[in-house]
Amino acid sequence: MDRIVFESVGKIFRHRPALFNWLGREQRGETVALQDVSFSAASAEVLVLLGPNGSGKTTALKLISTMLLPDAGSVRVGGFDPRRDAGEVRRQVGIAVAAERSFFPRLSARENLEFFAALDEVPRAERTQRIEEVLRDTGLEEKADTLVMKFSSGMYQRLGIARALVKRPSVLLLDEPTRSLDAATTAHFWTTIRALALQQTTILLATHNFAEAAAVADRLLLLHRGELLANRPVGAGENADALRTFYFRMTGEIDEKICNL
Amino acid sequence: MTSTLDKLRAILWRDLLTAIRHRSGFVVTLVGVFTELAAFYFLSRAIGPGFRPGGIEYFPFLMVGTGIYTFFVMSAQAFLSSVQEAQQTGTLEVLMTTSTAPAELVILSSISAFAGNLVNLLVYLLAGVAVFRASIHANFFSCVAVLVLSLAIALALGIVAATLQVAFQKGSALLWLLGSGLWFLSGTMFPIQTLPRPLELIARAIPLTYAVDGMRKALLEGQSMMTMAPTLAVLGCFAAILLPLALAGLSLSLRRARQNGTLSFY
Repeated sequence: MDRIVFESVGKIFRHRPALFNWLGREQRGETVALQDVSFSAASAEVLVLLGPNGSGKTTALKLISTMLLPDAGSVRVGGFDPRRDAGEVRRQVGIAVAAERSFFPRLSARENLEFFAALDEVPRAERTQRIEEVLRDTGLEEKADTLVMKFSSGMYQRLGIARALVKRPSVLLLDEPTRSLDAATTAHFWTTIRALALQQTTILLATHNFAEAAAVADRLLLLHRGELLANRPVGAGENADALRTFYFRMTGEIDEKICNL
Repeated sequence: MTSTLDKLRAILWRDLLTAIRHRSGFVVTLVGVFTELAAFYFLSRAIGPGFRPGGIEYFPFLMVGTGIYTFFVMSAQAFLSSVQEAQQTGTLEVLMTTSTAPAELVILSSISAFAGNLVNLLVYLLAGVAVFRASIHANFFSCVAVLVLSLAIALALGIVAATLQVAFQKGSALLWLLGSGLWFLSGTMFPIQTLPRPLELIARAIPLTYAVDGMRKALLEGQSMMTMAPTLAVLGCFAAILLPLALAGLSLSLRRARQNGTLSFY
């Protein structure tokens, strides 16, 4: 059974200018974030959402996580509709957002994880062990008792991943998870992703990084200006360059790497 | 139930750790308490012992009035600040994706904000009695009854402020109104009977007026719950009406914010 189902999903953000708009230049209007997007994801599958800025990747993740509600079509997670059964959906989903500072700055990494684990109803008896595990997996063991206000961007990002993992979700959503990570941590993270998929976790990962897509993806969703341009499997032998060529061919954007040759 | 208590414990612990790590916060609060009480003590001495509103000495009258008023406004302010901070840091969106229902999360967070200010209120009243010799004749059960009902009303006001913050990013406007209007109209500094008739009628429609009056009766006059039944009934009615309305409004504004994508707007 498919764990995530998008059926003709549409999402539009409407902009309302400020009340005294004559002082500024803000325009009334709307942004079509997603248009008639349909796809599904099975258990143990890693889907990579690839696309430029503003293509709708984060919107798709937010719709699954219940942060947003769709304007058209339907989203189902584990058979539940985020509109009617948001609680059931939230129990299944873990999300690592791109916003670095979504933590309580005067709590340590461990205290932040304990707080979110309590809200995610992780049993108290298992909490300490799970937190130690995710701290180890994300390389934050030595910084576990440091206040997060002293963290670097990369450490925030690792903690965001740790927070998403601590509830052991059946659906894991990752928004540019390795943007600020060093090469070694990134490589270790990709291994972790593949290991989670082996444990039946469904993973959706939004990225611009072709190497990341090649390293972890079972399937590639290519989004461009809110439309799904491609939904296809990623072959075992496909590398970053192959995905790069595919991406620029599909989107029609100009690949400066080729232009500069 | 166990899970809810566990979440409440986690939220209280988070807020306590955050508060004690703002190193100067406690000291500043303590200095503020003593400065305010000293100002009221000398004001009542300057006015003289002849002024006894409702037969109560003026200093204890002021102490209870401002104590309850500050508890209301500062609690709502603390709660609103936590919502605004969560919007600014992006924590709010993440909190809304946890397994805890948004309404439950908001109520638990507001309880934590109010618990902190309840401690401040107790310190304020204890300091007034111990240091400035305010005479009290407390009826414990009446005090608890007034406090619990006032807490429910204050929770509702805090939730309304959070609702306005999520819906229009203007929760502070309600608090400004609370800060200025209620201070003047709720009998904090002087009896509402001295107001012109139209303003007195408005004052009688404000729940804080009954909370202040009830606490004076319970703490300073030692009235029993039976004697105070009319005041407790009014407070109970306000709580029974305001709390469900506030929660319904919050639920609606959160749903609207998820639809419009404005959850993290501030």
